[in-house]
Amino acid sequence: MSVRLTRRPLSVSAAVAELDRTGLGGVVVFVGRVRPDRSARGRVVALEYEADLAMARRQLAVLERSARRRFAAERAVVWHRLGTLGVGEISVIIGAAGAHRAPAFDATRYLIEELKRSVPIWKTDRVRPGRRRRRRPSPRRERSSG
Amino acid sequence: MPSAPSVVRIHLFAAAREAVGASVLVWALPARGMPAEALVRRLAAEHPKLRRTLRASRFVRNGEYLSDLKARIRPGDEFAVHPPYGGG
Repeated sequence: MSVRLTRRPLSVSAAVAELDRTGLGGVVVFVGRVRPDRSARGRVVALEYEADLAMARRQLAVLERSARRRFAAERAVVWHRLGTLGVGEISVIIGAAGAHRAPAFDATRYLIEELKRSVPIWKTDRVRPGRRRRRRPSPRRERSSG
Repeated sequence: MPSAPSVVRIHLFAAAREAVGASVLVWALPARGMPAEALVRRLAAEHPKLRRTLRASRFVRNGEYLSDLKARIRPGDEFAVHPPYGGG
């Protein structure tokens, strides 16, 4: 089991190493990063991530166990960064490994979708005020690829 | 002998924290407590900027989601306002 909520930078190679075991034929890793973007208030230069720590840790652990059981993934990582992240920094790494590709893909997709839906983690834009771009009213766009 | 707690701590995150300008509020409560819905109404009355966020939020008592806002919040409880999540 590998669940992390940390203020330290996340490492893709460390996540792959955590998942990589001889005999597991499929390893999938999803990496979410802070995107350069614009909001109504200016250019996004950073995202600030926070969590209800106790609940988020508990919920991530539940999700990780659930993903392994549901999709027969043998290993999984669910790592999320907290604090202020600049554009390009990694905010989340989700991964899963199984005997074949299907359990690894399915578990990874499940984990990122459920994390976004049900884990008490929030992000707030930090913007550099500038020329505002007029935007049509639309649902709020995500600021990271995660 | 230590005295019984007489306050509730209200934890505010993200948009809720920004609307109030504080991450924790400490409120005195009567010994019998108060229904969560009354506490939420008082939050809205004291912090008008919080109203929109409250309408979209989930509420948590002692680490568990409240499915019934008639549940009582008692002195010593930890109450939290969870705006819509945005991890990833």
